[in-house]
Amino acid sequence: MIKKLIYILVLVGAGIIMAQLFAGFSGSTELSETARYYVESGPEETGAANLVTAVIVTYRGLDTLGEVTILFTVAAIIAFFMKTREQRDKPKRRVSEILTTGARILVPGTMLFGAYIFINGHLSPGGGFQGGAIIASGFALMLLAFPQANLSHKTIRWVESISGFSFVIIGVLGIFMAGGFLDNSILPLGNFGSLFSAGAIPIIYIFIGLKVGAELSNVVGHMHEKQKEI
Amino acid sequence: MEIFQLEYITLITGGLLVLTGLWGIISQKNLIRMVIGFSLFDTGLHVIMISIGYIRNGTAPILDKAVDKVNAAGQIVDPLPQALVLTAIVIGLGVTALMLAYVVRLHKEKGSLNITNFKDLKW
Amino acid sequence: MVTPIFIIATGLGLAFALGFIPKKHINLTGILSFLGLAFMTFISGQWLFSYLGNNELSQFIFTAGARPPFAIALKMGQAEAMITLLINVVGLLSAVFLYDKLKQIGRNAFIIYLVLIMALNVIVMTRDLFNLFVFLEITSIATAGLMLLDSNLKTLSAGFKYLLATSLIAGVFLIGTIFIYSFGGSLFIDDLTAIGMAPLKAVSVAVFLLMISIILELKPFPANGWGLDVYQTANPGISSVISGGTATAMLFALYKIMPLSTMQSYDILIWVGLITFLGSNLMGLKQSDARRLLGYSSIGQIGLMISIIGMKPYIQFDIQIILLAILITHLMAKAGFFWLTGIVGNTDISKWGMIRKHPEMLFLMGTFVFALIGFPPFPSFFGKWQLIMELSSSGHFLWIGLILLGSLIEAVYLFRWLGYAIKKETATQSSIDIRPHKTLPTIIFAVFLYGVGYLASFWFPMGGSINWLPLAFIAILFALDFLPAWIKNIISIAGLSYYAYQIIPEQEGLYLIFAFIFLIGGILTLIPGFTNKGKRIGFYPVAMMMFVGMGMLIEAQSMLEFFFGWELMTAGSYFLIIRGHRSMPHALSYMLFSLGGAYLIFAAFGIAFAGSGNFLMSGLSTMGGLGGIAYTLLAIGFMTKTASLGLHIWLPGAHAEAESDVSPMVSAILLKAGVLGLIITFMAMGGPNNEYTTLPYVLGWLGAITALVGNLAAAFQEDAKRLLAYSSIGQLGYILFALAMMTHLGWLTGIGYSLSHFAYKAILFMGIGAVVLRLKTHNMFEMGGMIKKMPFTFIAVLMGIITLAGIPPLIGFAGKWLFYNAIIEKGWYFQGTIIFFAGIIAFLYCFRILYAVFLGQLKDEHRNVKEAPIWYLIPQYLLLLSIMIFSAKPEWIFQPLGSMLAPIFPQGQLVWNEGGTAFSDIGYWNGSWVMYIIGIMFVMIFAWLFIQNRKPKKVKQFNIVYAGEKPERPETTHMAYNMYSGYNKALGFITANGITTFWNWISEHVTAMGDSLRKIYSGNGQTYVFHIILFVIIVYLFSNGGF
Repeated sequence: MIKKLIYILVLVGAGIIMAQLFAGFSGSTELSETARYYVESGPEETGAANLVTAVIVTYRGLDTLGEVTILFTVAAIIAFFMKTREQRDKPKRRVSEILTTGARILVPGTMLFGAYIFINGHLSPGGGFQGGAIIASGFALMLLAFPQANLSHKTIRWVESISGFSFVIIGVLGIFMAGGFLDNSILPLGNFGSLFSAGAIPIIYIFIGLKVGAELSNVVGHMHEKQKEI
Repeated sequence: MEIFQLEYITLITGGLLVLTGLWGIISQKNLIRMVIGFSLFDTGLHVIMISIGYIRNGTAPILDKAVDKVNAAGQIVDPLPQALVLTAIVIGLGVTALMLAYVVRLHKEKGSLNITNFKDLKW
Repeated sequence: MVTPIFIIATGLGLAFALGFIPKKHINLTGILSFLGLAFMTFISGQWLFSYLGNNELSQFIFTAGARPPFAIALKMGQAEAMITLLINVVGLLSAVFLYDKLKQIGRNAFIIYLVLIMALNVIVMTRDLFNLFVFLEITSIATAGLMLLDSNLKTLSAGFKYLLATSLIAGVFLIGTIFIYSFGGSLFIDDLTAIGMAPLKAVSVAVFLLMISIILELKPFPANGWGLDVYQTANPGISSVISGGTATAMLFALYKIMPLSTMQSYDILIWVGLITFLGSNLMGLKQSDARRLLGYSSIGQIGLMISIIGMKPYIQFDIQIILLAILITHLMAKAGFFWLTGIVGNTDISKWGMIRKHPEMLFLMGTFVFALIGFPPFPSFFGKWQLIMELSSSGHFLWIGLILLGSLIEAVYLFRWLGYAIKKETATQSSIDIRPHKTLPTIIFAVFLYGVGYLASFWFPMGGSINWLPLAFIAILFALDFLPAWIKNIISIAGLSYYAYQIIPEQEGLYLIFAFIFLIGGILTLIPGFTNKGKRIGFYPVAMMMFVGMGMLIEAQSMLEFFFGWELMTAGSYFLIIRGHRSMPHALSYMLFSLGGAYLIFAAFGIAFAGSGNFLMSGLSTMGGLGGIAYTLLAIGFMTKTASLGLHIWLPGAHAEAESDVSPMVSAILLKAGVLGLIITFMAMGGPNNEYTTLPYVLGWLGAITALVGNLAAAFQEDAKRLLAYSSIGQLGYILFALAMMTHLGWLTGIGYSLSHFAYKAILFMGIGAVVLRLKTHNMFEMGGMIKKMPFTFIAVLMGIITLAGIPPLIGFAGKWLFYNAIIEKGWYFQGTIIFFAGIIAFLYCFRILYAVFLGQLKDEHRNVKEAPIWYLIPQYLLLLSIMIFSAKPEWIFQPLGSMLAPIFPQGQLVWNEGGTAFSDIGYWNGSWVMYIIGIMFVMIFAWLFIQNRKPKKVKQFNIVYAGEKPERPETTHMAYNMYSGYNKALGFITANGITTFWNWISEHVTAMGDSLRKIYSGNGQTYVFHIILFVIIVYLFSNGGF
């Protein structure tokens, strides 16, 4: 009981600190200088209609690279962490008919939708991460419906490596062909608002989509195999 | 009332989520619940981030027919926190996944999910 | 120039590309990873090189073709180049160390490792707050992954705690970051500092959160239980990256974001850092797990560095250089040490005796321990020096005290550990893993430490004047350690002779006397070493280290050089002492007292620097307003070496247990370094009529009591060498007393005593040492009758005893005559009585050692004992010769001595006439005549005895009847056993071990304090998270003085 009280006191303390932080915040009515730059120069410099995408893939591309790296690292850790020593395929539960049938219909559509999301990342809401997550959810559904299925980790690894490596290479090309690392204008910016525009952004987003999809599927797959083992 | 503006509501909600998450981390003995606590904490942070970037009556920072290039600056919300929050979400996802993987292994090693049972290292 | 972006591109691109390589080509994966790490190292090295020697402006590297704050920018300035180079070197070498482990886990392990090192580089280079957050997270995830290289319950639970804690910390950082953006409109650090944010409370809270989360990443006490677990359980290769690489990057991040905050925040760093330094070391005291102990030490050192960052506003000297010196030392020594724990395998520090089988590994360990404590010639020595000097000149003595106290506590456990490794018997037969890929990185860092130490000396004022030649000589001796002992002995004597030839002619006055004692004495005491067969591994380098250190005391123009020499001497003598049989605890207490003393001296030098504004030794006489404190510190510091009462408990064991030829070195010679120090102190105080009258008065009393207690304790010893050791305490008490009189005659006596104590104590220790060598026992009741077997030794010892006891005609009597003159003239009758009484007690032990060792009956088992080795006799007789000469012609020594003292003490000089008679105000004395008369008396009495005792009756050894009773302990029937039991009953209370009890009490309580403090680390990850939140709140409360 006293313990609980202490926790509450500490949380109240944390709350007060946060409240003091919040107290300095006044709802803004206009953009900050940085944001204004993105709005005013972003379309010309990157050619992306989705300004968030412009920021993510180009201006703060290094963050995104780091973000991809985190997923990649997590996938790698889980891969050796969850390494199954011996394969014991004993599914514990029967899979319901509805799930199997539903999955048969839904999985291809989900994959396609995922691809759509990341290919159009520079134009509409969404992008590589979102698309990749959708693809991975498709795989998750598949694994739920067909517990016997094994993901080919080798294929996944190749997809991961190729897309990750290409991302870095595109970034490096920016140093030589454009204004700096990860500058997207190594390719023509194209017609603003069309699919083939925004320089390297769609390419990068496709790779990110593939990579995120592969990595998340990998994580799901490993967890799944682990579960089979237990 | 100023406080009932959208950004304040979300900001305070985010703050409360953060505190709830912290509460979960420090008071729940079950590892999975602790991870859920962390997840709440993280989500709270994301909500706060989004609130910071909000511009009153602004719309999504995507230039299309509704928002043209020229007048965009007055119409949209700040794209930067949105970009940051995406990154933060993905990072949070990675961390949560790794934590869960740890929990699975810890459970396998000791057959327990109670954090007080993992005190082999001390002093 | 390769742009630093390629550090990222290489690390990441390679990590991604490793996926292409099939599993079976794991070696290719490994080689590519090494090449990648090497290339990253090359990039930062190349940038550092381009900055050397010119003040080129730091380079910003923009990404995405936009300028910051709109896009992320990196910075590659001189500091960044240096830090990334260090991180990459640690990364590369640790990868070598980990090679078999990484290979075993496979490709993914290499990938995660590359990602970790790359992320650390970005943490250093990035100028964007959110980018910093992203790479903080990468670091924590990659670390959590690498924890699992050894996958067991311990690493799992440690990894989980780590992940939980660092994620939470990163969350705190994120809140700070987003609000900084909200208030400042930018994430670019340089922008934010340039424009300066509004002085709002909320802004300062946001900055506080940024700062506190980086501090938390550095594992401040007490919110660091999770960090300790990681240090303890991770593979040593990973621990070395965490301690060397991650901590370095985080420190730099802290340094980078500090300009955002207010001046007040710097104080937070200082206190958090200092408390961490002290608390962490305190808790390390009771730790027996090698890796966890290193964890405590790491956290402590990092705490120190945090506080140094915070001291920036108070320090005029370039703080980066001080930090760099300490950082490099910590990084290399700690990384090397962690690798060493991987090589040795056993994590119980008391089992580290097994490392002795590989002296080169022991050498590495010694290097790391001494580097961590901040001994010369390592960079941290110079860093700490400058730090203390700067803090002193800004008047922050409390911080100095805390830093020195923390260092001393750290020394306790590190030297205890080193002692175990050098001396402790271990039963376990487990072997040491000395495969080249394990040892090579460790050796490289040890070598680097010496090299960087040399370079670092030039970064600091006066550092360039250090004479590195003798140190190079010591290094060569280390390299030649495979040679037989006699060759090394010749080399050492030759080297020392050359050094003496270089130094001595340049000296004048009192320095000449001490140069003579230190260096000529060194040569003489090295001679007995020729009796050693075999290699005598490790002896000569450390002996030379001690003598060179003492030589540097003589050479020193600046306080820095003096302290350098002092520490070098301490290090060398520690190793000499610990070589002895059963010396482990004594060497430890010697080291701790010496270090404690050294730190007091250090602090006093700081005060002198503050007073005089320069580093010259002459600055000691301009202390400013704190003279009284400073001279007291100096006196206490030097008295730890002269073993004055209260600070003496290390001496008996250390001197008695040392090897036969080491005892004379540490007793006859080393103690005089303390005397030199006292003389320097008294001279700096300003001659006879200075304002500090209390200090000499107190020291006079202390000297008198030391003399009494030392002599009395000597009389009660059963162990011959211990007897001599206690007698040294007593004799040094005389010297302290004499110097404290601050008169011409007093100093003449004191310095005369120093010289004669050098001569006779060397003779006695060599003589008794030779007996011990032959009889293989220290106990006097097991000796006896050696006069027949070792007559030459007997004569030398007899003459030594006569000198010691101050019996005419030898020079000791001259000392006494001067002494009583000085006491009467000074008017210290009370103390003088004690001294007089102590002199009488000295006869007790003088007789005891003569009787018990040389007279009496020869034991049966000693019938075949031979005379002492000739190498022992040569130096004894050389010294004896000089005693004889100066006894006959005392004016040859006292007259020049008097004229050396005349400039300091013009009053009350002796007057010498043509015939060698000395006149004081109250009497006169002619050494030659005393010699002649005593000589004649001796011949007459001897002749008479000879005629009288033509037919002495011999008594057989067991010609004693016990009335059928067999004594339970036969030695109790020996006359020499408990010889002075009567006196012991009457006066023994004076020598009761009250002082030892006192120091034990202190050490027990300090240890107990650390022990109860560390109970906060309950092992529960949840508690650790709670600690983190609580820490944030408490520091916030302190920094704001409320909410």
